[in-house]
Amino acid sequence: MNGKYLIIISLLPIVVGMADPEIKDKGLEIRFENHQFSPQTLTVPAGTALQITVLNLSRERIEFESFRLNREKVVEPGGSVIVKLPALRAGSYDFFDDFHADVPEGTIIAK
Amino acid sequence: MAAPVTNRSIRAALGFALLFCAAAVVRCPAQLDPWEFEVYPYSTTPRGMAEFETDNASVVDGHAAGGEGTASGTVRSQGMWYNSYEVSYGLTDRIEAAFYLNMAQPGGSGLQWAGDKVRLRGRLFDQETLPVDVGWYLELEWHKTPQFDDAVRELEFRPILEKDVGRLSIMANPKFEKVLAGVGHEQGVEFGYVAGLHYRWERSLSPGLEFYGGSGLIDHADPVGKQQHYVFPTVWGELPGGLEYDVGLGYGLTRGSDHLIFKFNLELERFVGAILKASPDNGWLF
Repeated sequence: MNGKYLIIISLLPIVVGMADPEIKDKGLEIRFENHQFSPQTLTVPAGTALQITVLNLSRERIEFESFRLNREKVVEPGGSVIVKLPALRAGSYDFFDDFHADVPEGTIIAK
Repeated sequence: MAAPVTNRSIRAALGFALLFCAAAVVRCPAQLDPWEFEVYPYSTTPRGMAEFETDNASVVDGHAAGGEGTASGTVRSQGMWYNSYEVSYGLTDRIEAAFYLNMAQPGGSGLQWAGDKVRLRGRLFDQETLPVDVGWYLELEWHKTPQFDDAVRELEFRPILEKDVGRLSIMANPKFEKVLAGVGHEQGVEFGYVAGLHYRWERSLSPGLEFYGGSGLIDHADPVGKQQHYVFPTVWGELPGGLEYDVGLGYGLTRGSDHLIFKFNLELERFVGAILKASPDNGWLF
C-alpha cells in the first residue's frame, strides 16, 4: 500500500464526522468545599450531551475523577474546570477526588 | 449504565476498523518497542503531576538467534527481560514530557543499559469536542546499544486516537518511525501500531485487549511471515495507595513474532508542583 494512503487512512477517524456534539445542558455544577462535593448526587438528563462545571471553593487542590466516565481533571484552589460528557444512558456514575481518599464519593444519576 | 451507541460512535468505529485493515495489509518491517507494551490514551498527565512508571516484558517463548522476534540487535530474544523506567510530567493540562531509561537482561546475563528516550505527548481540544478524541506523540530515542538495537537514533510520531463507547475505550496509536542514525538511516519511514480495547469494570480490576505490531517500511513492507504482530489479553486497575498496574500475556501471531511475552507495568502518580499556568478550557493545543 502506498505510504500516503496509509497516512490518510490512519488519520481517517479524526475526520469521520467532525461535527461537534450539541451540548444541551450547560448549567450543571458540582462544588467542592469543606472537604466534600456538593451536591453529593447530581441528577442529569439521560440521552443528551452534557457539560458540568466543577468549582473548587476550598484551599486544597483536588483531582475530579470519574472511573466509569473516564474523566480526570485537576482543579486548583479557587479554580474551576469544565467536564464535557457524551449522551449518557440512564444509570449511575461515580465521581471522586483522586487526591483525597477520605472525601466521600459522589454520584451522577442520569435519567 | 453505558452511553448509547450513536451514529457518531458507529462512524468512529468504522474509522478505526479501516485503520486496522490498513495495518493488516500494508507491507513493512516489524517495528515495535518491546520496552513499552503500553497503549496511550487521549488523556495526558495532569499539569503539575509526575508519573513514575516501570514497564517490564519478559520473553517466555522467543527466538534463539539475534535479530529475530523482539530482538533488534545481536542478542537473542529467548529469555530476555525488557525493563524500562519512565518519569513523565504534566507541563500543561494538554502536554506532558517524559524521559525513559531502558534496561535489558538477556537470558543468563545481568541487567544492562540499553538506551534512553525522551518524548512529548499532547491532546488536542477537550474530551467530547471532536467525535474521536485526538492526541499526538513525538519521541526521540538515542544512545542505543547495538546488542539490543542496531539503530542509533530514531524519531517517532504517533497520532493518538480514542473513542469511548459507554464503559469501553477504543484506542489506536499508529506509529511512524524514522531511523536518523545507525542501521536503516538511509531507509524511509516505518509503520507500526499500538491499539487497545479497555473496558472499565471496576477501578481495582478491569479487562483489556491490546494489539502491537508493525509491518516495516511504509512503501516496502516485510513479508507477513517476517512481520511481528501480537495480541495481549490484559487486566489493569488501581491498587490501594494509587498504584496502577497493567498485566498481560502477549501471543505472537506470525512466525516473525516471539511466541509468548509476559508484560507487567506499574505506575504511580503524584502532584509535584506546576510550573506553567492552567490551560484555558476552550484551548486546543496548550
